[in-house]
Amino acid sequence: MSVKRFLNLALLLALPCSAGAQEPGLRTQLEARGLPADLVTEVETIAADATALGIPARPLADKAIEGWAKRVPPPRIAAVVRQYATQMARAREAVTSGGMGEPSAHLITAATQAMASGIDGGQVEATVRAAPGPEAAGPGLNVATALHAQGISAEQSVGVVVEAWRRGEPVSAILDMPSLARAMQAQGMSPAQVGQRMMQGMSGLQGGQHGRPAGVPPPEGHGKGTRGQRRP
Amino acid sequence: MSTDDRFSKDAQRYLDGELHGELPSDERADTDRLIEAVDAYAARAQPLDASLDDAVMAAVRGRTPARRRVGWRWLLEPRQVSLRPVWIPAMAAAALLIAWLGVRGPGTGEPAGTAVAVADTVFVRFELAAPNAREVSVAGSFNGWQPDAVQLVRGETGVWSTTLALPLGEHAYQFVVDGERWIPDPTAHAQVDDGFGGTNSVIVVGPRGVVRS
Repeated sequence: MSVKRFLNLALLLALPCSAGAQEPGLRTQLEARGLPADLVTEVETIAADATALGIPARPLADKAIEGWAKRVPPPRIAAVVRQYATQMARAREAVTSGGMGEPSAHLITAATQAMASGIDGGQVEATVRAAPGPEAAGPGLNVATALHAQGISAEQSVGVVVEAWRRGEPVSAILDMPSLARAMQAQGMSPAQVGQRMMQGMSGLQGGQHGRPAGVPPPEGHGKGTRGQRRP
Repeated sequence: MSTDDRFSKDAQRYLDGELHGELPSDERADTDRLIEAVDAYAARAQPLDASLDDAVMAAVRGRTPARRRVGWRWLLEPRQVSLRPVWIPAMAAAALLIAWLGVRGPGTGEPAGTAVAVADTVFVRFELAAPNAREVSVAGSFNGWQPDAVQLVRGETGVWSTTLALPLGEHAYQFVVDGERWIPDPTAHAQVDDGFGGTNSVIVVGPRGVVRS
């Protein structure tokens, strides 16, 4: 077999691999959801500008799709997407200040939502800095945002997550915190008390029958959840 | 009707050649008639011409294999490859480049480690009390905000519900009532401004599921 034929074969085998790595284009994605051509072009332009600043395009496209699904007029959608890109740029700045050189789309989105909910840039930066790894920072910010939305102060919400990381809690345990906080409030605890209790550690809450708030499913292997249960 | 219905166990053994003449006369007459019929049939059967095998095999070998089979055969048959050594480093570099592009993924910069948090899925129940609604669905970040993708089922008390398998992590959503009214879930972990004048509900799905208010 000649070298040319061998290289052709190698190229043929490589094509599916590289094609699988490509995401459908932004325009294709937006057109598939029925967005009008003018809006698609505008979103594409905003996304291109954002990408040049290191902001991922996908969340912007998702925002446009969300607006279109909700039957928001196209000019309003474009304005919201542009504003969202600006918020993401600020969030990216906070995240990179926290030591994440090339933050993921998920992390930037999480930071954007955190800052929109009232967690300031410094607190986002501190959270990212305290994260045990880049994969933990996004979920950590999601949890801090959800805790803050439940009435726990921004400082305490961030502190709960950071303290959990210091104790070596895994990401999965941290993701349970908003549900635990909700259950504790249902028992009559104030948001401040919930924050304080969670700062002290999750082990007491997760350990036994007495420590776990009512309504909180027991750890896996000890029974089924009340509202959700792990998929078999 | 099976042979078991027509012949006794002894008759079957007789047919198999295990018994010799120990059957009752009527049963023996039946089995003998059967043996004779089989022998007569065997005698009439014409032996196949030995050349038929060769003809069939020649026809099979002569059939053009499907293109896919040709490709597979080409790939699977051992071949000699002659290659100038100068191509080896070039091909190694190309292989490394392909591997790097594959690992890098779709360009979102998403670290592979994130899969640890999102690989698992949890069943999450969505409920909305809307006794007067004609239809209720849920749309959110988990289904591309498609308003008609997930319909809820009405219970007797007017509570609409559905259960979805969602990845661990945060999800934003709203209920869509009668295909036009987007309303938040009052029991969610958080309510956030959606930027369009509405409110998205947010839940954070942990391994234990979701506890709402």
